Amino acid sequence: MAQNEMLAMILAGGRGSRLKDLTTKVAKPAVYYGGKYRIIDFPLSNCANSGINTVGVLTQYESVLLNSYVAQDGRWGLDSKDSGVYVLTPREKADEGLDVYRGTADAISQNIDFIDNYDPEYLLILSGDHIYKMNYDQMLDYHKEMKAEATIAVRPVPLKEASRFGIMNTDGHGKIVEFEEKPAKPKSNLASMGIYIFNWKPLRKMLIEDMKSQESNHDFGKDIIPKMLADEKALFAYEFKGYWKDVGTIDSLWEANMDLLDPKNSLNLNDSSWLIYTEDISTLPQYIGKDAKIKCAYITQGVRVEGSVTNSVLFTGAVVGKNAKVTDSVLMPGVVVEDGAQVTRALVAENVRIGQKAKVGDKNSENIELVAKNVKGGTN
Amino acid sequence: MAVSAFGIVSSADNSVHVDGLHDYRPIGAFSFLGRFRVIDFPISNMSNSDINRIQVYVRSRPRSIAEHVGSGRHYNINSKRGKIQLLFSENSSSRSIYNNDINAYMQNIDIIQRMHQDYVVIAPSYMVYKQDYRQLLDTHVASGADITLLYQKVDNAREYYKNCHTLSVNKQKGVQSIEKNLGTANNKNIFMDTYVMHRDIFVELVKAANWMSSMYTLADIVNLKCKDMDVRGYLHKGYFATLTSLEDYYNASMELLDYDTASDLFKANWPIYTRTTDSCPTQYFDTAKVTGSFVSNGCLIEGTVENSIIGRSVVIGKGAVIKNSIIMAYAKIEAGVHIENTIVDKWAHIIHAKNIHGEPDAPQYIKRQDTL
Repeated sequence: MAQNEMLAMILAGGRGSRLKDLTTKVAKPAVYYGGKYRIIDFPLSNCANSGINTVGVLTQYESVLLNSYVAQDGRWGLDSKDSGVYVLTPREKADEGLDVYRGTADAISQNIDFIDNYDPEYLLILSGDHIYKMNYDQMLDYHKEMKAEATIAVRPVPLKEASRFGIMNTDGHGKIVEFEEKPAKPKSNLASMGIYIFNWKPLRKMLIEDMKSQESNHDFGKDIIPKMLADEKALFAYEFKGYWKDVGTIDSLWEANMDLLDPKNSLNLNDSSWLIYTEDISTLPQYIGKDAKIKCAYITQGVRVEGSVTNSVLFTGAVVGKNAKVTDSVLMPGVVVEDGAQVTRALVAENVRIGQKAKVGDKNSENIELVAKNVKGGTN
Repeated sequence: MAVSAFGIVSSADNSVHVDGLHDYRPIGAFSFLGRFRVIDFPISNMSNSDINRIQVYVRSRPRSIAEHVGSGRHYNINSKRGKIQLLFSENSSSRSIYNNDINAYMQNIDIIQRMHQDYVVIAPSYMVYKQDYRQLLDTHVASGADITLLYQKVDNAREYYKNCHTLSVNKQKGVQSIEKNLGTANNKNIFMDTYVMHRDIFVELVKAANWMSSMYTLADIVNLKCKDMDVRGYLHKGYFATLTSLEDYYNASMELLDYDTASDLFKANWPIYTRTTDSCPTQYFDTAKVTGSFVSNGCLIEGTVENSIIGRSVVIGKGAVIKNSIIMAYAKIEAGVHIENTIVDKWAHIIHAKNIHGEPDAPQYIKRQDTL
């Protein structure tokens, strides 16, 4: 890909309020996943691996941690001369007041000056909330081949669930004829993934008009895409068949972690040709103690296990004490499960300490227990 | 830090040869405790001691060191104020008797003389220990000594510390002589091949050694100068390993399987930096049985691992048993293979040989990329 032929903008303003205590202090893209990653590592690594040099990250909600995290562009190899990761938060401008990002399209509109600096041919819009591996360069090839004005990545979902998504109806050759947001009677099972490639110049024009519109929600799904369809522009659906997860709830975040316990899982983080990059932390390798029992687990560096771990994912620096039992659970970075404690069907938040012999979670619970505060030691 | 120093990471003497491992890379590039390389320790010690200018001397096979050290960014070296230089002694072959440390310093003496820092800290790329060089430097300056040497008291010098030097030190920590460890006694002061001195003294010593004999090393000339210079010892305590023979390497690694020993070497306020390979976490299958071991990321473990060190992206098949062994990165141990007291080098593939055994005091070695 030629330098800056395509610029990527990652929408990372999502609050993720259904993730409860995990997102009270950090935005959803900064939530931990898969033993050593944060969710935003996925779109950023995908960009790096797809040969995209410049990435803007649009942040808004609780953005302090996320801003400092993505500013270290060397982590994803986006630090060569012509590359960079730029954090774009709402800012005051000379001719107008400070405005929050009113919608996904508005977030881009407010940064037209940034994009103009790079003068890209194409603009790639991504969400910072999704876990998947995708080659955006191949999507761009498709976009060019179809001579599209916009290409939207879609993935097949079970038809009975299709009414929960934004559904693209195509003409059978990939051309989008209709877009329906959460249709009661879906006509197709191709759900939008919130990944768009636009030809920048016409989009720029539309965005400037959209900014002035009083009726608009300033949203790609609600306003821009429907308007383009109404104007009979060439919109194409690009079908993606790999692993993709939008982890909106504690249960789905837990489930996405559990997916990694299957060595044949389709996300395959072990693929050396498409690595997911993240923060590099100096620690010992993982230490598995003399009396430890480990069965079916996904464990990263800096972890120390002295007790037993079954069907669980352990993040950097987590500790499982002697005779402690961790089953069907996720321990986020720095979690300490003290001697004799039991953790079952739970997701334990960063740096939480489970006291000696304490018990959290229940193997018969319907939902996964989120443990976000220290738990005092038990007596038996 | 009141006084400033630059660092030199030195290469092992020609008389040192570690069976097997050394055929493929210098000792500094040996894998250590799964995810590190030996040279990470001296460079991290320097970086943590605010030493920002570091010269790494490489005598032979520079590829692995050059690749691993790179720009030094992962060692937290300031990208503008600091620099890591890789220096080679280009004029002689690696096996030549002329290819010693003094020769390498002579060839780069102009670079050494141009350094802005007044002092130099010289540390070996073939030993592992944790030391704040600011303390060493402060003690050196306060004492008014010409040269200060780091050493450790040991009680097993007959069996280990082969190829090392010993110091004879008087009660005032004055160094009387530097000698080869001949294994004649168990209690010895082992010289950690770490020096602190003023840059001018260093340059003077290098020139003097070179003038006296082309075979002289820095240790030789300091030994000679003990009589008329003020040479002091500085006692180091804590974990110390010298990787100058296969037995020493194996023993030093096994010692770290005691978690308390290992965690003493890896304090949060004294990080040991290394180059990340971005491998994913390790997958333990439902048949895995792992105890008493350090395991790196990216492994797939279906078999049994006991009291061992497993490098990055190692595959251990169903029913395979690994005991008291060091398995290096990307090795593949197929189903049903039994390995004990063995060092398996990178990319080795063990499939047909079902039983590989060494002795605790004489570990077996399996070559890099070998198929057995």
